[in-house]
Amino acid sequence: MKWARVVVSLLFAAAIFWALDNRHGVVPAFGKFLNPFAGFWQNGTRGDKLPAELSVPGLRAEVKVVWDSRHVPHIFAENDHDLNMAQGYIAASLRLWQMEFQVMYAGGRLSEVVGPTALQLDRFHRRFGMVWAAENAAAETGQDPQTREAAQAYTAGVNAYLSGLKRKDFPVEYKILDYGPEPWTDFKSSLLLKYMAYMLCGNSSDADWTRLRQALGEAAAEALFPYYPPLVDPVIPPGTPLDFKPVPVPQPPSKATPGMGGAPGQWPSATLGPAGFALPGQLEHGLGSNNWAVSGKLTRSGFPILCNDMHLGLTLPMIWFEVQLSAPGVNVRGVALPGSPGVVVGYTEKAAWGFTNGTDDVVDWYAVKFKDASRREYLDQGQWKPTWIREEPIKVRGSQAVVDRVVYTHLGPVFRLEGEPASQEADVPPDTAVRWVGHDPSNEFKTLLMLDRARNYDDYLAALKFWDCPSQNFVYADSEGNIAIWHNGKFPLRWKGQGRYILDGGNPADAWQGWIPHAHNPHVKNPARGFVSSANQMHAGASYPYYLGSDYASYERGARINEILAASKDITPEDMIRMQGDVLNIRARALVPRLMELLKEAASSATEKLALEELRAWNFECRARFIAPSIFERWWRELNVLTWNDEKKGDMTRMPWPSSQVMIDLILNHPDSVYFDDKGTPEHETLAEIALKAFRAACQGLEKDFGPWGESWTWGKVKGTRIDHLGRIPGLGWDRLEADGTSVTIDAIARAWAPSWRMVVATGPEMKAWGIYPGGQSGNPGSAYYDNSVLDWAVDKPYELIFLKSADEQNPGIAARTIMRGAK
Amino acid sequence: MIAVIICLLIMLGLQVLTPFWWWIMIVPFAYGVAAARSGARALSIGFISAGLLWLGSCLYFYFTGSRIIAGRISRMIGLGKPGLVILAASLVAALAAAISGYAGYAVQKLFHKSGSKA
Repeated sequence: MKWARVVVSLLFAAAIFWALDNRHGVVPAFGKFLNPFAGFWQNGTRGDKLPAELSVPGLRAEVKVVWDSRHVPHIFAENDHDLNMAQGYIAASLRLWQMEFQVMYAGGRLSEVVGPTALQLDRFHRRFGMVWAAENAAAETGQDPQTREAAQAYTAGVNAYLSGLKRKDFPVEYKILDYGPEPWTDFKSSLLLKYMAYMLCGNSSDADWTRLRQALGEAAAEALFPYYPPLVDPVIPPGTPLDFKPVPVPQPPSKATPGMGGAPGQWPSATLGPAGFALPGQLEHGLGSNNWAVSGKLTRSGFPILCNDMHLGLTLPMIWFEVQLSAPGVNVRGVALPGSPGVVVGYTEKAAWGFTNGTDDVVDWYAVKFKDASRREYLDQGQWKPTWIREEPIKVRGSQAVVDRVVYTHLGPVFRLEGEPASQEADVPPDTAVRWVGHDPSNEFKTLLMLDRARNYDDYLAALKFWDCPSQNFVYADSEGNIAIWHNGKFPLRWKGQGRYILDGGNPADAWQGWIPHAHNPHVKNPARGFVSSANQMHAGASYPYYLGSDYASYERGARINEILAASKDITPEDMIRMQGDVLNIRARALVPRLMELLKEAASSATEKLALEELRAWNFECRARFIAPSIFERWWRELNVLTWNDEKKGDMTRMPWPSSQVMIDLILNHPDSVYFDDKGTPEHETLAEIALKAFRAACQGLEKDFGPWGESWTWGKVKGTRIDHLGRIPGLGWDRLEADGTSVTIDAIARAWAPSWRMVVATGPEMKAWGIYPGGQSGNPGSAYYDNSVLDWAVDKPYELIFLKSADEQNPGIAARTIMRGAK
Repeated sequence: MIAVIICLLIMLGLQVLTPFWWWIMIVPFAYGVAAARSGARALSIGFISAGLLWLGSCLYFYFTGSRIIAGRISRMIGLGKPGLVILAASLVAALAAAISGYAGYAVQKLFHKSGSKA
């Protein structure tokens, strides 16, 4: 009896101990987590206090850090090594968990933390060759003394912070997920840039369009997804003369090349049924970024002004953190990526620059023909050539490790093997290899470090030559009065349309056959119109001699930017800040009058009559408090559903929607188009009938989802902007934020995607700038600086940025000073 | 009362000096093995000392800088209000310590043939 009592009570106590000491699925290890002395209670605002002194072993001299009232560090070092090391130390102290989580995500290691649920995602990143790509980039970075030393010093700084970190001070996410940080490496910084590159240019429509072409024919595919869509005002102003002599472009292969594996015309193969196509969401058009620069001819000060707002996924912590970096030869202010040395977007004492995504097609997919099921050999140029295997071990928390044996050809990794289910992330057929510019050795760090030191146009241009991937529109302005934009990256030299559809991996004519010389990238300096701009739209008109892709952002933001700037003069920074908050929807402006005309007075229900009145009175601004944007957005969606979804044929499991400018062109200029007819009915529907049907469906849909007409229909509520925590942990984000804007307005606050860093830089003898991002400098959800900028960001109230000349400069915005010293 | 204070102070010292939560189980267990005069006493001393320690500490940290994080965590675990998280933490500590204390007393009884009041 006594023994039984002992055994039972000990077992019971042990069970309680085990339950509280271990994580169970999404339930944290409550013993550790709730512990007041080392659990989440320690992640409070006490961590916001800034030390007057810090001992950082490895520093060569004293580093002074001036903190402003928004917790922005202004780092002053005596040499580059200390500057990079101090940046690494401070980045880790503010954003350690984010840094590590992002690279674990990119490197296919999330299963180590969250268990088998992340295995598919991890396998996707391994199969896509993310780790291989980062290894290639890290090797290249290591070849260059400047980038090697920067990466090493940054890594040393992160690890110096880690070495002094106590468990109770771990970021709260480690405590929730019950694991701990590991040492930083240079490789992880490379992986971080690959994460950005994949996010910005890792996707492609090749598989979707291949299915579409096969089902509807080449003519329809090219009409619906044209190389040069209507309405687009390209990045490089039409008529800009070429300042280079184009090199010859390769010729496309003949349609039927005998003896080659998997010719695209025969894809998908008979063995691939509809179950093989688990499709991702609709292609999203209109998401991207804006940048522009106006010359001194158009500004009140007589000096250029540069503006940039990069649209990225909304997360807390945000992807950027603000920093000023200063050492002999460098003084730069802007935003950095936690995990990478240098400032990514910002300005120096003489020059400013910013990015928008180039949106070019730098990912091509190739059908590969293997000799047999062993996949040891594949067909290339009529000969069997050996593959090579890269083993990708994936540790899985609470389960056995998995080793993925990824097959590589000269093109790149084979993404999906025969018999494997389709990936949700890339819906390509089996035995397809991926060729990505991001796989090749490159050193984008070099560009960033050189831009951080740029003083004039030549410095800027020299820096751009090192930037391969992701391709970006690099906007530029300087205090000498220059403005410029380069559509910049490393682009394969291809025949027109090469890579638009899945290619034949065995055909040399389908392979990349060289590179477009850097000087031939689309660019313009000091154009006559007095401004340069980009919004992810088509880079240049038909006179540009090379093919870079055909799936660019729709025209709205770019056209709106250009129409405002073309009508502006005597511009001030305040004008530019206001312009970044412009929410006029030119898609609605183009369509609503015509659609209303088509509807005539057909509205029947009270709700429909109210909706029509609302649209009639609308000024086309997408304000959170307006109802009209909700009606228009839903009407637009229903119009697309009714116009396009019935076109699905053959093996297509859905019909990709053409971009908005194709649809607008049809409505305004081709109302008799066959696409408006609903193929599912024997009758012939007209545009007017479809427009009415879509309008009624929109009103009914809003009533169903948001209740009767009223406050709940306002755009801010219908749009439902939210900022999730980076790791999707409930309670650590913003569940609801009512903000103006939509994905096609300049102020492109969509549901979960929005301007991630708005910046306006007024160049001149003294650079002045304003900036804001949705979040805060600290990655700690318990900090007062975690999300302190969100509300100001939502109403577009950027902060004037403090840019110090020296660490001893006085400024009312300075909140604290820290001296960092190497250990004696 | 003295036992509660002694247990509480020992746990407090160990928790401040080390990052381990399980002192709130070890100390009551040790008390149960070495000094408890009854099962009920072992159980209640553990319950009160650990419960009070975590309740007081949570309140202290809540009012000295952890208000924001407690609010977020209360939403994360679905309790809604930080006060409920403080209560839950105290209760977790109290129950774990109580069970551990009782287990300690059961072990003590194994080696002592008499004197049990439980």
